[in-house]
Amino acid sequence: MQLTIENVSKRYGRENWALRNFTLQLGPGVLGLLGPNGAGKTTLMSVLATITRATSGRVTWNGTDIASDPDGLRAKLGYLPQDFGVYPNLNAVEFLEYLAAVKGLDAVASKRRIDELLNLVNLADVRKRPLGGYSGGMKQRVGIAQALLNDPQLLIVDEPTAGLDPEERVRFRNLLSELSGERIVILSTHIVSDVEATATDIALISQGTLVAHASPEELLRRVEGKVWEWVIPSADFNSARQRYLISNTARRSDGVHARVLGDTPPDGAQPATPNLEDAYLFCLTQHRAGSASQPVEVGAPA
Amino acid sequence: MNSARVLYHMVRADFLERVRRYSFLLTLAGALWVAYGVAAEEVWIVVGSGYRGVYNSAWIGMLMAICCSTFLSLAGFYIVKNSVQRDTDTRVGQILAATPMRKDFYTIAKTLSNFVVLACMVGILMVAAVAMQLLRGEAHSFSLWKLWAPFIFLALPTMLLAASAAVLFETLPLLRGGVGNIVYFFAWTAAIALGATGLDDPTGLQLLYRSSRQTLQAIDPTAGERFNFALTIGGERAAHTFLWNGIDWTASVLLMRLVWVGAAAALAYAASIFFHRFDPARSWFKRRAATETTPQMTAAQEPVASSHVTAAHLSPLPQTHSGVPFFRVVAAELRLMLKGKRWWWYLVAVGLAIACVFAPFDAARGGVLVAAWLWPIFVWSPMGSREARHATESLIFSSSRALSRQLPAVWFAGVLVALVAGGGIGARLLLAGDHRGFAAWLAGAIFIPTLALALGVWSGGSKAFEAIYIVWWYVGPAHHIPGLDFIGATAASSNPVPYLIATVLLLAAAYWRRRTRMAYA
Repeated sequence: MQLTIENVSKRYGRENWALRNFTLQLGPGVLGLLGPNGAGKTTLMSVLATITRATSGRVTWNGTDIASDPDGLRAKLGYLPQDFGVYPNLNAVEFLEYLAAVKGLDAVASKRRIDELLNLVNLADVRKRPLGGYSGGMKQRVGIAQALLNDPQLLIVDEPTAGLDPEERVRFRNLLSELSGERIVILSTHIVSDVEATATDIALISQGTLVAHASPEELLRRVEGKVWEWVIPSADFNSARQRYLISNTARRSDGVHARVLGDTPPDGAQPATPNLEDAYLFCLTQHRAGSASQPVEVGAPA
Repeated sequence: MNSARVLYHMVRADFLERVRRYSFLLTLAGALWVAYGVAAEEVWIVVGSGYRGVYNSAWIGMLMAICCSTFLSLAGFYIVKNSVQRDTDTRVGQILAATPMRKDFYTIAKTLSNFVVLACMVGILMVAAVAMQLLRGEAHSFSLWKLWAPFIFLALPTMLLAASAAVLFETLPLLRGGVGNIVYFFAWTAAIALGATGLDDPTGLQLLYRSSRQTLQAIDPTAGERFNFALTIGGERAAHTFLWNGIDWTASVLLMRLVWVGAAAALAYAASIFFHRFDPARSWFKRRAATETTPQMTAAQEPVASSHVTAAHLSPLPQTHSGVPFFRVVAAELRLMLKGKRWWWYLVAVGLAIACVFAPFDAARGGVLVAAWLWPIFVWSPMGSREARHATESLIFSSSRALSRQLPAVWFAGVLVALVAGGGIGARLLLAGDHRGFAAWLAGAIFIPTLALALGVWSGGSKAFEAIYIVWWYVGPAHHIPGLDFIGATAASSNPVPYLIATVLLLAAAYWRRRTRMAYA
């Protein structure tokens, strides 16, 4: 089971490149696709889900180009788009039955599967209610269920936890971890904690290019010795923010506790254990500085 | 001053959003097409016993203006009847609802925005009128006032009326959807007919009727006795010409036109009374979507999470998925089409289907079938556009064989509806050995859903089919006009071959368009 993305670029209009020479090779596991808004995550998802065609480059599924056999991938694909709709007059069972038919699933097997999925996403009690009456989080759970209908080998989920309450978010993370054994799961999000909890691999994407592809441990190693906890008086916080890359802050009685990223610590700062959010910010900042060709040393006073 | 500024920006933003859409170009192209039709003498007005006016500024201006206030007031309504819906779809409405914006401001702004769009179409015909007079060269004198006054006093007030009616229809729950499209068509027909009864009508036809009759009587005293007045498309051309110098725009005439402007303002204001201000609790659609009994669930009503079910419990699926019968997908599409229809809808549909079997044959073929194939209009109209409307395209298009299986299934389900709704007539024609009649019936049964599918796929909405179908249905099958009767309502008017050919072309067009919408076929 292998998904290969080779030099994929996608251009909208004449000048707007959403993806540029994106290359990645994936095997079973959960890939957390992290990046800021507009980085190209959703475009990449759409290309992989055969919704949109790459301008150049190719994507192969188990060695076969998806452009020559898109249905070969679609039969094994579960896709939860970022924005999707439902038919408001159908209930959850009817909607899933409809999609099961469209996906070409066996009637008897899909009925059983739908029952299980509705239990899995906690919608069994409201299965007969029209989807028009569902809240945003419940519709999202219907979306998760439909993505799992065909027991997909490739599961692509774009911002799946948007609209879910904390309890459901934890359930979904657990679900992804359980599903990942024999599948390729691509989880696109900008919620770092979702990736931290589930991903076996992380791809950082910015401005349509791949910034980093590594395991969470490797990414964390990149910022080891570069994260500092610094307590500063509230009055000095704004000026400190201008001078240092700060990944997180918390106001306490003794001042503002800031996590500072950089090679050189500010005066009085103590070393801190890096987390994935630190690594994410550090890599992105380095990439931006590099692509802008500006010799900015992260953490150094400006 | 501040109010005017708010109004200006609301109209401006709405107008800019529209003109920057591809569909606006199509709208202008439509206006250009109407202008060409008039300039190329495909559309003209015949008065008296075969007279038309000499193509001077007055006659050309009036002819073009009447075309605006009749044809464009119908088509224009369908074009602009989406301004409130667009704010709902784009969710801009929710932002507006949280501002101090007044409801009457909103509906008036939407009316004005609609009006500006329609006025752009009128503007194209105004320019075309100048070109037409120069090209025709029948009259040597040129008067811009005579050429454009009918546009200003006739066409623009009618457009304002259509613009405000569109907003009112959008705010009235019952008229917001397809029912409103049909109601407007009949209201428009009634308004045109009003001109023929001697009453002042919103289109201004009556003004031309009176003025041209008076002028013609001065030339031909017998003309008044057998006076005909017809706005003709592709019909018999006028044999004679007469010189008409235009309408005398007296105060009483202008006052009458102002009454229609006032009526438009009243409609725009009335719309504010019914405007839901994007309150989901007051949204008919949302409530209907939840089958009118289920309000949107609150967090407290949502099912509580239980953690005993895990992904490990999911049953594996059979490995081969290719053997799924096509008819299962058809059944799924059919269920989707019919879901949400109320019991009385089925009652009427079954009643009409039964009447097709048992009513006297001529009445059944020429009357009941016509009704039976109008009744499911809202079953057919979402065909091809349902995925776009409900944002399920990415779910459907990422499924295997979406183009080769799902699209044909939608079409087949639509055909099944037509076959069942009017099946009695088909069976009776077959049993009577009327093969030509049966072919016409069958052509109708497949042509209607094919037209719906093609228009749905191409337009991305249901309105195009609803508008075109109702007009076509009224002119063709309901009046048994040969050439336009696509269902073969009478033996004389049935002609299946063009509709079978059209079906094939429309199917190909729908397939091609859907194929281009998908990254991979």
